[in-house]
Amino acid sequence: MVAQPRAPIPGLPMLPTSIVGSYSVPGWLERIKTDFHRHRISANHLTEIEEVAIKAAVKDQERAGIDVVSDGELRRDNDIDYLLARIPEVSIRGQGKDFYYDYYDAELVRPLGSDGQQSLGFAADFDFTRQQTDRPIKFSFTGPFSLSRRLRNGDRPDETELVRSLARLLNVQARELFDAGARFLQIDEPFLAGYPDAVPLAIEAVNIVTDGVPASWGLHICWGNRYARPTWEGHYDFLFPSVLQARVDQLVLEFARKGYDDLQLLHRLGWDRAVGVGVIDVKSTEVETAETVAGRVRRAVEVLPAESIVVNPDCGLRHTPPEVALGKLTAMVAGAALVRAELQPSVVHG
Amino acid sequence: MLVDVRPTSRLRGAKATDVAATLAPIMAALRDTDSVDLSRLRVVCDWIQYKDNFREQIDVRTILSNGPAGGAPADGDLEIAVDLRRSAEGPLAETTRALLRGYADNGLHRCYLEPWVHTTESCVWDFNALYWRALDLWEKATGRLYEQALPGGESDARNTDAVRELLGQMFGVWDDLAARNSLPEELYVVELGVGNGGQAKVWLDEFRAMDRARGTAYYGRLNYLMCDYSPHVLEQARITVADHEARISALALDARSPTTALGFLRGKIFLVYVSNVYDNLPNEEVARIGGRNYRVESRAYVTADDATLIAEDLGCAVETIRPTVGQLLRLGPALLAETRPDQFPSSEVAVTLWRELWAALRLEERYVPLPGLDMYRIAERVSGEILQPLVESDGDIRMHVNNGAVASFVDTLPLLHPFGRLLCHDLFVTDVQQFQNAFRGPGKYDGSVVNWCNGPLLRHIGGRAGFDVGFARFAHRTGTNIVTMTAQVRD
Repeated sequence: MVAQPRAPIPGLPMLPTSIVGSYSVPGWLERIKTDFHRHRISANHLTEIEEVAIKAAVKDQERAGIDVVSDGELRRDNDIDYLLARIPEVSIRGQGKDFYYDYYDAELVRPLGSDGQQSLGFAADFDFTRQQTDRPIKFSFTGPFSLSRRLRNGDRPDETELVRSLARLLNVQARELFDAGARFLQIDEPFLAGYPDAVPLAIEAVNIVTDGVPASWGLHICWGNRYARPTWEGHYDFLFPSVLQARVDQLVLEFARKGYDDLQLLHRLGWDRAVGVGVIDVKSTEVETAETVAGRVRRAVEVLPAESIVVNPDCGLRHTPPEVALGKLTAMVAGAALVRAELQPSVVHG
Repeated sequence: MLVDVRPTSRLRGAKATDVAATLAPIMAALRDTDSVDLSRLRVVCDWIQYKDNFREQIDVRTILSNGPAGGAPADGDLEIAVDLRRSAEGPLAETTRALLRGYADNGLHRCYLEPWVHTTESCVWDFNALYWRALDLWEKATGRLYEQALPGGESDARNTDAVRELLGQMFGVWDDLAARNSLPEELYVVELGVGNGGQAKVWLDEFRAMDRARGTAYYGRLNYLMCDYSPHVLEQARITVADHEARISALALDARSPTTALGFLRGKIFLVYVSNVYDNLPNEEVARIGGRNYRVESRAYVTADDATLIAEDLGCAVETIRPTVGQLLRLGPALLAETRPDQFPSSEVAVTLWRELWAALRLEERYVPLPGLDMYRIAERVSGEILQPLVESDGDIRMHVNNGAVASFVDTLPLLHPFGRLLCHDLFVTDVQQFQNAFRGPGKYDGSVVNWCNGPLLRHIGGRAGFDVGFARFAHRTGTNIVTMTAQVRD
């Protein structure tokens, strides 16, 4: 009997395509965001501009043929400030920035939860995106461990408890997001690769975030993408065995820039769930061809079950110029389609 | 009318400049000159610090209303530029009248060597390149080495104390990485612009000695890459550091694009050392005048008097000067002598022409409006948009863009190891306001061009790429203008 391979995401084709989170931030938007921090435009105008940019980003993803789209994280200055600046117990020193992408100097001035477990407004942001598209939407946010790395903890030295309390706060947001209709949620831990000893704590915190939220959960771990440069180098074995305990459905990982040897490692170390395989090098402005992408997807299919693979870029496309980002996504979709066409007639299950 | 006196530090003290005495004859000349709309006039006073430079005692510049195709030169505001240092030279009122008359009649009596161009494309940079290409002939003619033209007579790059301090810091980083088993086996250091190899020798000698004393055995893992535009210079430098031959490689490259040759070392270099290179790379200026942004365009010329003298020396008509200059810059003095032996019986004669031309060379300037900073390209991959916070910060300003230095800087940063650093000794403006109160070039250093570097611009560009860029006065010699710029990864 010939069976159609199962897709990792119900309702989507095998080898579905997605983006990791952020989409290209055009130069003019960078300038406007920076102008906001210099008090040259109002928050109202900035919000309106960001919403127009989000509509365009969603449209670009649809044009490219992406199956699971995002808002491009275009409301966010970077991977940290979007969250920390919304937390009532966090004080931002000196509200201005020279450049929007700089990190705030954030300090926790009261224990998290002192003001009650509050909504940070993620659900409203998700709802805006949902109004722009009929496609499934991925909503990603930075995880508790990485957030804790950019949050000074005043005179409370217990970093472990800080991570856990951030996780509890994010769990509240996740529940709100799910209630608002979000079904594809992703936790990003961009700093974790620099702290291999902290993996058990980070995974414990991930499980707090996902607790009681029956969405499809992704966990994205890369080697850093600050200013389009890797922050660390290494291999994904540092995640094991702790990551096996993570209550997530998918690991979303970086491969295109570094090569695909670590796929074997995932297989060998027992990862048995879906893998978001990075097939687009987001640190390069060279647009991959569909055939290049297909070659990378084939590498993944050789090691992992096809039905466990999601096709995505290595990381966010924030630093990639707009025309390059669109070109890369278009090539990614075309490359995935090439391999899908090769697999469909030949996969036979007894 | 607006009068802008920039060198404010010269207005007080025992040697204070008498600005009123300078302005009075200019105002008298303006009173008598109906062709100038005084409501659309700026008078800008600088103190041109370089004895050899490209400026007249007094000159006139158009501030175009539209682009270059937007009308006759007079279709715009006017700027009169005065060098206060030379204001006592000759009858200023008469000079000003003659200048304004000539400007109105489109007859400034100048022998132009090129049309209006972006200043980075001016032939002054071809003269600059020729100087480095034919340095041996220039030095032979002048009887002194180029390093003797530097302030203090030698490069600060050779300062032993500075080298030891730097090595101490670098060894500390390496020790930390080694303790975490993260120090690569191959340790790369790059020097851009090696001169005669003197700095490399001091650096390597000190490295070896300190490494032996510490017992760290880093010397055997060191790869010191000497990079220079000129293979001839590289060869000279190799001879200087022959004692370290096993540790040295020499690469010919353009300092503006180091990754073309060093791309394989992306993210692997612990130290990129650059000394007195940035100030000598192509530069142009942008200006903000009355809320509008302009690019300063130039055209090189020699005065009619100088042109006549040069033509007499050449035994030819003034009209042939321009093509001869083109040939000189393309071929160099040695080949020019071979090509035109009747006029240049030896390369020495060609060098004499070269030196005469260089001494007489001036730059006429005009301001061309920029349609938008994003439409202006500072260097490949660097949009003029990045200038916005600098030019729009506080009133009128004219400042260097240092296009060549920016290109080099931007292309160097990706080469650095996450714990690496770019160290640069050069002439830096460290605050944009410094462009408003002192002249920062261009000047002539021997046969080359010198411009102060726009430190705030480099800091801003570095910041946007995730680097902390700091400036500190060179600590190991007093009375120097040299500043140390350091760039290191942030976050």
